[in-house]
Amino acid sequence: MTALLDILIGGVFHAAVLFLVAAGLQLVFGVQKIVNLACGSFYALGAYFGITAVSWCLAHGMPPGLFLPVLVVAGLAIGLIGPFIEALLLTVYHRDEAFQLLLTFALVLMFQDILRFFWGADPQQLGDLVMTYGRVKMGAVQVPTYNLLVIVASIAIAVGLGAFLKKTRYGRILRATAENREMSLALGVNVRWMYASVFTLGTILGTVGGALVVPTAAASLDMPVELVVEAFAVVVIGGLGSMRGAMVGALIVGLMRAAAISWYSELEMLAIYLVVIVVLIARPGGLFGKPLE
Amino acid sequence: MSALLEAHELRKRYGDFTALDGVTLSIAEGELVSIVGPNGAGKTTLVNLLTGLLPPTSGTVRFKGEDIAGIGPVNLAKRGMARAFQLVHIFPSMTVAETIAVAVVSQSDKAMRFFTPVRKDSAVNMRVREVAAIFGLERKLQTESRLLSQGEKKLLDIASAFALSPEVILLDEPTSGVSSGDKHGLMRNVVDAARKAGVKSIILVEHDMDLVAEYSTRIVAIQSGRVLADRAPAEFFADPEIVAAIVGKRVRRLAQGAA
Amino acid sequence: MRAAPAILSIVALVALAALPSLLTQYQITLVLPALAYAIALLGFNLLFGYTGLLSFGHALFVSIGAYGTAVLTSKLGLKSFEAILLLCAVASVAVAIPIALLSVRYVKIFFGILTLAFGMLFHSFLFKFYNITGGDTGIRVLRPTLLGRAYEDLDKTAFLVGPFYYYCVVLLAILGFVMWRLVHSPFGLHLVATRENRRKSEYLGVRVRFFRLIAFAVSAFYCAVGGAILAVNTGQADPELAYWTHSGELVFMTVLGGFANFFGPVVGAFSFIFLKSELMGLTQYWRFWLGAILVILVVLFPRGLAGLFAQLWARLHRSTPT
Repeated sequence: MTALLDILIGGVFHAAVLFLVAAGLQLVFGVQKIVNLACGSFYALGAYFGITAVSWCLAHGMPPGLFLPVLVVAGLAIGLIGPFIEALLLTVYHRDEAFQLLLTFALVLMFQDILRFFWGADPQQLGDLVMTYGRVKMGAVQVPTYNLLVIVASIAIAVGLGAFLKKTRYGRILRATAENREMSLALGVNVRWMYASVFTLGTILGTVGGALVVPTAAASLDMPVELVVEAFAVVVIGGLGSMRGAMVGALIVGLMRAAAISWYSELEMLAIYLVVIVVLIARPGGLFGKPLE
Repeated sequence: MSALLEAHELRKRYGDFTALDGVTLSIAEGELVSIVGPNGAGKTTLVNLLTGLLPPTSGTVRFKGEDIAGIGPVNLAKRGMARAFQLVHIFPSMTVAETIAVAVVSQSDKAMRFFTPVRKDSAVNMRVREVAAIFGLERKLQTESRLLSQGEKKLLDIASAFALSPEVILLDEPTSGVSSGDKHGLMRNVVDAARKAGVKSIILVEHDMDLVAEYSTRIVAIQSGRVLADRAPAEFFADPEIVAAIVGKRVRRLAQGAA
Repeated sequence: MRAAPAILSIVALVALAALPSLLTQYQITLVLPALAYAIALLGFNLLFGYTGLLSFGHALFVSIGAYGTAVLTSKLGLKSFEAILLLCAVASVAVAIPIALLSVRYVKIFFGILTLAFGMLFHSFLFKFYNITGGDTGIRVLRPTLLGRAYEDLDKTAFLVGPFYYYCVVLLAILGFVMWRLVHSPFGLHLVATRENRRKSEYLGVRVRFFRLIAFAVSAFYCAVGGAILAVNTGQADPELAYWTHSGELVFMTVLGGFANFFGPVVGAFSFIFLKSELMGLTQYWRFWLGAILVILVVLFPRGLAGLFAQLWARLHRSTPT
């Protein structure tokens, strides 16, 4: 029973963070039909920058309890590189999708060294800072409060995003542009600005996700590349372009990973890839997406 | 004359919506049958069923006596029916010659060859030149398809369908996008080419009633998923009710004599 | 200039054959991977350039070639390189067929993601089942015999830059010729048609899925051969060969050389190996510069080096009367 609860909490925590990255991917794909292989790099960027920000604040006398807001702000701040990256991607919007994949792959390569340049090759972490918020007893397990806070935050963001997309004017225009770009243009929507802002939103979701994960995991140079595969698993399982899919996909991948680590660690990623393949074959559109071809 | 294409009580339902409600028609050798009717009447569905693209909910469709329900475009081509579309489809970076060659080769015994050069095959080249000449494209053989004018692209589309040496060819609004002065010229070319090429029957989907009147041997009018009329042009245009239903209240022109 | 490709190939092959007398031994050890990748990419481009399917998982087939060679030489004692090549290629095709059957239904992004997933599946298999695959150290590759000869008197480097080098040049020539005939055959014509307009090609009687399958299988064959050469060159088969970034490099090389041109992949292989080694010598941040070059390529020179060259050639010819 203990083991199961451990897996559950661990899996849901991982899912909460994965959801943020996947949601970013979905938004960008939904509106611009771009698949961003560099999403993992943004995630890592948020992680590293988060560590730097918190370390700096602590060194300047900030009380440790404030580290969570600092992480969030750090994630938000570094996510503002979004518009600049988007300007680069602008050049390949109208071309074959292969070029988009290649361009974002090029970004992965570049970010790999950018991260190394600023933060070095060794993994970085925040030590025991996560314990500042203490633990909570849930049944037979002790769960760091921080993890629960992140899960709650992620749910809040999910709900917020959902409301944002459905109820606000921006959200409606976003969904309209996703459905039919030409029509939106004809109706006077500033599609350029829409693309830039959506991409930035997607980037921010990724960087905040990375920032939020660092108290519990180290930031390392392996992060960008490893995360891409997981994020894609989420998006494929859930269905490209679907927010609900991002949530369900994230839960499935998060829980599977937690289960695999506990029970049969050799199977860890193998299991996830198998699920991706099975889903892509049985339901090419993912669980909630639209079928293709 | 034997019936080449036969449809019997074709029905197509999408959930609650009935697109086609019991259509029966047959097309024999030597005929040019026009399918007419207002938009939404079910013409496209009928055509998709006749060409094996969609399986019917009920009813049968037979080509040369064999069931072709839902066999798909590749099998359709192999059995001897070709289809040219209203919206022009081309291979953008392939030349006119290469485009026609695709059709010529796919129907020959050379389709599954992996090592013999196709550019140097004189039999293929001759046939490609032949088909291109019928449609006036012989001077554009080495031009990339995306560099052709809209009209030329249309011609190429039809030409490549012809290059399949089909027994029946279905032309989906072949003159749409072609200037009115050229419409008759194109139809004339196509009908002559078909005769020369050994095409046995033509099915035409057209909105231009002048062309329909002049070239059809028979006109089939579809309305609300059913056959409204299936007659020779003279009888068709002689019936004011039918004409009104298809052409609208304003009677534009009545054909004088059959093609 | 109908004879241009033939002349070009002969000149290139002669140049390649002459290299050992012109370059240092160390430099030749760089040319070997270029030869390996040239062969692998010729196959990869059949799928990418000619069929229009971008796979982000082809490193899988390269690794099958590498691991196959390693297992056959060090664990099963098979030394004949001819037999090794054949077995690896057949294994690669055998793995490719089910993957292709599942993947060629989809195009573009989904094809890329699905192939990426398969590639990573293989990678984690290599990593996790270390009892069989040696985990992250991989498996050693022992020296194979070429046409039955073992060259025991030559040390490792002498073997690689001598008989093995010439062997690979000949392999490239043969496989290049086969690929040339393939893409200029009716099969090649139909393949391009499926890339240009899938629907229209179906209406013209082209069996799209079947041809895509064959293209996929052939590409796997070529990649395995490339992988085998790589393995003999480094003496080791390790899991990094199967990581998705390696698949990304395959695409990079192809685009660098030019995917719209038959010789593009070969040009790309050589250019990339050369570029990468120069960059690695200049700075520890070579990935950054490599990425930057890829960006410039994609944005400004999507047709790659061969495309640039072809443009120049055409411009030269336009000014001369025919």
